[in-house]
Amino acid sequence: MDIQRTQPFDFERRAERVLGCEALRKIYRMGEVDVRALDGVDFTLYAGELLVLLGVSGSGKSTLLNILGGLDVPTSGRVFFHDQELSEADEDELTLYRRRYVGFVFQFYNLIPSLTARENVALVTEIADDPLEPEDALALVGLGDRLDHFPAQLSGGEQQRVAIARAIAKRPAILLCDEPTGALDSKTGILVLEVIERINRELGTATAVITHNAPIAEIADRVVTLADGRLHSERRVGRRAKPSELTW
Amino acid sequence: MWISALNRKLLRELLRLKGQIATIALVVASGITSYIALRGNYLSLEDARAAYYDRLRFAHVFARVERAPEWTARRIEALPGVRLVQTRIAEEVTLPLEGMSRPAYGRLLSLPPSREPGTNMVSLREGRLPARGRDDEAVVLEAFAQAHALKPGHSIPVVVNGKLRELRVVGIALSPEFVYAIRPGALVDDPKRYAVLWMERSALAAAFQLDGAFNDVTLRLQPGASEAATCAAVDRILSPYGSNGAYTRKDQVSNRILTSELAQLEALSSMIPLVFLGVAAFLLNLVLGRLIRLQRHELATLKAIGYTNWEIGRHYLALVVVVMVPGGLFGILGGVSLGRMVMGAYAAVFRFPDLQFQLSGQLIASALLVNLLAALGGALLAVRAALKLPPAEAMRPPMPASYKRSLFERLGLDALLGPSGMMVLREVLRRPLRSALSAAGMAGAVALLILGRFGWDSITSYFEGTFRREQRQDLSVSFARPVAPRAVGELSRARGVRTAEGVRAVPVRIRHQHRVRDSVLIGLPNQATLRKLVEHGGKDLSVPPDGVLVTSALGRILGFRVGDRVEVELLEGERPSVTPTVVGFIDESTGLQLYAQSDFVAKLAGDLGAVSSILLKVDPPELARVEGRLRRSPHVIDVADAVGDMQRMRDMNASFIDIWTFVSITLAASVIFGVVYNNARIALSARGRDLATLRVLGFSRHEISQVLLGGLFIEVFLAIPFGLLLGRAWAAQFMSSTLDQETFRWSVVVEPRTYLMSSVVALLAGAASALLVRRSLDKLDLVAVLKTRE
Repeated sequence: MDIQRTQPFDFERRAERVLGCEALRKIYRMGEVDVRALDGVDFTLYAGELLVLLGVSGSGKSTLLNILGGLDVPTSGRVFFHDQELSEADEDELTLYRRRYVGFVFQFYNLIPSLTARENVALVTEIADDPLEPEDALALVGLGDRLDHFPAQLSGGEQQRVAIARAIAKRPAILLCDEPTGALDSKTGILVLEVIERINRELGTATAVITHNAPIAEIADRVVTLADGRLHSERRVGRRAKPSELTW
Repeated sequence: MWISALNRKLLRELLRLKGQIATIALVVASGITSYIALRGNYLSLEDARAAYYDRLRFAHVFARVERAPEWTARRIEALPGVRLVQTRIAEEVTLPLEGMSRPAYGRLLSLPPSREPGTNMVSLREGRLPARGRDDEAVVLEAFAQAHALKPGHSIPVVVNGKLRELRVVGIALSPEFVYAIRPGALVDDPKRYAVLWMERSALAAAFQLDGAFNDVTLRLQPGASEAATCAAVDRILSPYGSNGAYTRKDQVSNRILTSELAQLEALSSMIPLVFLGVAAFLLNLVLGRLIRLQRHELATLKAIGYTNWEIGRHYLALVVVVMVPGGLFGILGGVSLGRMVMGAYAAVFRFPDLQFQLSGQLIASALLVNLLAALGGALLAVRAALKLPPAEAMRPPMPASYKRSLFERLGLDALLGPSGMMVLREVLRRPLRSALSAAGMAGAVALLILGRFGWDSITSYFEGTFRREQRQDLSVSFARPVAPRAVGELSRARGVRTAEGVRAVPVRIRHQHRVRDSVLIGLPNQATLRKLVEHGGKDLSVPPDGVLVTSALGRILGFRVGDRVEVELLEGERPSVTPTVVGFIDESTGLQLYAQSDFVAKLAGDLGAVSSILLKVDPPELARVEGRLRRSPHVIDVADAVGDMQRMRDMNASFIDIWTFVSITLAASVIFGVVYNNARIALSARGRDLATLRVLGFSRHEISQVLLGGLFIEVFLAIPFGLLLGRAWAAQFMSSTLDQETFRWSVVVEPRTYLMSSVVALLAGAASALLVRRSLDKLDLVAVLKTRE
């Protein structure tokens, strides 16, 4: 499992699409005005890659992530998970999609305060088909010794790592992280990024990290920038930086 | 702007909380409804009784005598404390009315020559009093007249002292002596079969050979006079003339039953509204507490910009007033309509000249005030917490909820539940007081359901169990005067009769040490098979050849044990005394009696064994024929049929029980609905984020509903057994506090079906409110909830 990838991500060889969308539009009606949160976005997430979705607040990156994760539906356009069209899926199918394939990490962790770290992870392992043991998942994020702590007894960084353990415990096909370091100081944020980076590297989970924090883009294989609901730029990173090399 | 910003904020919050406010208002309304209906009925009946007794000069002391010369009345009049004495003639009669399979029984009372009795006046509803000197005119009790559609001018057949007479009805009347008209010895009133007739004194004196004499006397006393001393003095004066012992209003049948009913109403009117008060206060505390927690930042801002604690407190307390307005309004409307409905049921049983549900301003004011105080009390606790918060503290987000590992987990039982089960369990355990109060409120509601049904269960069980085990006869034949024992032999040889057993009942006074009680000594044949005496534990006892068996309640009152000797004084004739040994105690549900062999009673009475009634076991197909033959006999005063009595009693009670069951289900459901709904709304607002997270993690709606509502169902499931026990305990408390223990000692019985009904109502009410909240879960906006940070 522990394959150190020193080479740049080989997009030609491993260009299998896990998640994608075409001409994606999302329009919110706010009172009298229509707000175009997404305005014709074409996007692909490849198997095994670590992608950073960069954008300022209001650029539409969270909307995109919510639609890709099956939390929201587009106004128009198509969304694919492998060859299946998610934009056609109903409520129950979307629930099943999240349940089986998607791991979420949120800015504010969204742990259940009444459950211990182990139980927060078990919440997912109990409904997944072939999960990790909660203890193993927590060991992966370096919390093997905090199993029976409640969220209120953990620091912010530790809570976010529990959230990551919870997200990966189901061995998801995709890991979607929405500002995972947004509520953390930079030192703790780097610890969390290391965990995300290691999960991607060791488990090969296709990972998309949303952030408004440009330096974080350096840990990605590919960086996509969104602005005003449109794809602004896309670049492949030659060599992924180690999170420990980042500063912000 | 005429609405201040703060009030506008309040209005918007009210709009948002409308569901919760509506359910709390419903609980408040239920409380006020039950209080106004029950208390209003109690006060109306109590007032009607006091006014009626006073206006028609209802007597304080009553005495029956064989035949006393009229001049003894003057000796009674001379007793200290006696204001008025009214002698009269009172006799039992039968009325063989056409079209009735069984005769009606009646009480014939004389009106004084002055036409206006000094005590126990009659209130004429129609017609007039009998004309002077007319011996064929009678005034009839309204209940009986209505049951037979009798009007002045109609005639009725009456067997007076063995002779059939036709009497002309000239008037229809009510009397304070017969507010509840019940035949002596019957279990329920039966207006069709019990008549009270008033006639000229001279007519009755002639018919019963009582010229210059009386056999019934009633007294009105001066305020503060001792009833007990007067009774004793009257007994002394009348004992040479065959007195049965004077008694007071407390033992007057109609008044005793009315008093017992009033005591029940009074107890209910304080017990039931209490549940609602408690629940309303709790719910307001819950909703307001949550609202304040959600508005920490707003509260801090208000304080920061200079609002005083009083202004902020008043702002939140205004919510209570808003709940009280619709709650009070609907409560009063509901109270009046339920009160009128209950009063209608009472008016059919208790006959007053003008019985109406009285709604006084005082009653409404006390209902509203008590509710307002309870609601404010509940709200104040929540508001106080808000006011104590320093503004800077309020600006910071609240500490995350902290949880601990419980004993349950330390025992390793958490593996059984899994994480979602543990979420449910810890939510319940984290707020043990709230969970306990929720469960207690719902338990109170379940207890109300038991309270609404247990009376029916107890009566039914009494009849189907005790009554049938003790009284195995088909018919019980009572005679106007004791008859010779050969009548038993004659009846036993009659066609269709399988067994006949004579019973002798004589009035006695029992003394043990310094304690005294009037009672009845019942003589049974040696091997009685129809009347069974059952001791505690259900074993049959046979009447001992020597000594007496005693109702255990009487033994407790007089404080004697098996082996003691008691003094038994016959309250007839020469009033001889004996001192038999108590050989055992029997469990009986009604009355205070002694039992001995018939020879023992005959010896005491100094006769050859006369019998006062005969019990018969009859071949079922012959029952109607035997009964018909007996009722034609002029000596027979009553033919009672136990099963018929029981059926009538059940029918009588059925309408009351139906109203009460319906009302208690409605009230209890409103409490349970209110508690579950408000708890669920609050849980949803407090834990929306957790639930949305679960949805994002892939939990289905159904699964998150279980997490949200699981805790509430734990509370409902805790409330049910606790409520069933509480209901049982309330029923016992209610029974012992309201029933005259010397008359009735029915054991409290709650049938399994009543427990089941109460549990099902609780579950359905809980499920209905849970479903309503579940609809909001379906609308949970995953994206929005995840964005917010509490």
